Amino acid sequence: MSTEAIAAIGAVEPSVAVGVPQLANQGAVAAPGFADWVAHEAAQVNASLAVAENDVRRLATGQVQNLHEVMIHLEEAKLSFQLLAQVRNRVLEAYQEVMRMQV
Amino acid sequence: MADYQSAFQISASGMAVEKLRLDITTANLANMNSAAPSAAAAYQPLRVVSQARPLEFARQFGLALAGGGASVQAVVPQPVAPRLVYEPGHPYADAKGMVAYAGVNHTSEMLNLNAALRTYEANVAAFAAARSMAARTLELGGKQ
Repeated sequence: MSTEAIAAIGAVEPSVAVGVPQLANQGAVAAPGFADWVAHEAAQVNASLAVAENDVRRLATGQVQNLHEVMIHLEEAKLSFQLLAQVRNRVLEAYQEVMRMQV
Repeated sequence: MADYQSAFQISASGMAVEKLRLDITTANLANMNSAAPSAAAAYQPLRVVSQARPLEFARQFGLALAGGGASVQAVVPQPVAPRLVYEPGHPYADAKGMVAYAGVNHTSEMLNLNAALRTYEANVAAFAAARSMAARTLELGGKQ
């Protein structure tokens, strides 16, 4: 009975051994993509912040035709920054979850 | 955030139209007592003609309505007769002593003013709804 149980473990082992490298490979492929995405999003948020800042400067110097466009650009910049902050929170949360794992 | 930008832009187009309506109504009210040398030269009250911005056929069934909203088609003078007042001493008085003033309808201009203000507020409310919808979306899955 005990040898059968050991044999059963042996039968399971290869599938586990195959499964782990696949996951590791997927992670290795996906990681630069995500980093690129984060960099791209951060650049976009920076651009919208720059637009909002420029609008505020033009408002201060009296070159603005319509006030609501400035406010809408400010809101857009705020929302895109909040999106970036939320993505950062989720990633950090996942990282901390992994670090807390008992090995 | 790009999907909310269309809602913001539509609200912005409505706000721009109502802002122009306010400007035009203010101009009409400001010229209420403007006199003119002849009846033909009297200030004619203006009116904003706005129109729905045409949406492309494919976009009407899509989720993104970018390019929608309202736009100003024209600012047209209202064909109203000038208000003639008997003021013989006035420099613009004609042979009969009548002076042509702008035929601005005070009541309807005040109503236009209020309507423009309320419509602007409605656009702001729609913008705030879109903004809080976006902010709520960012709370998805977060710590409550």
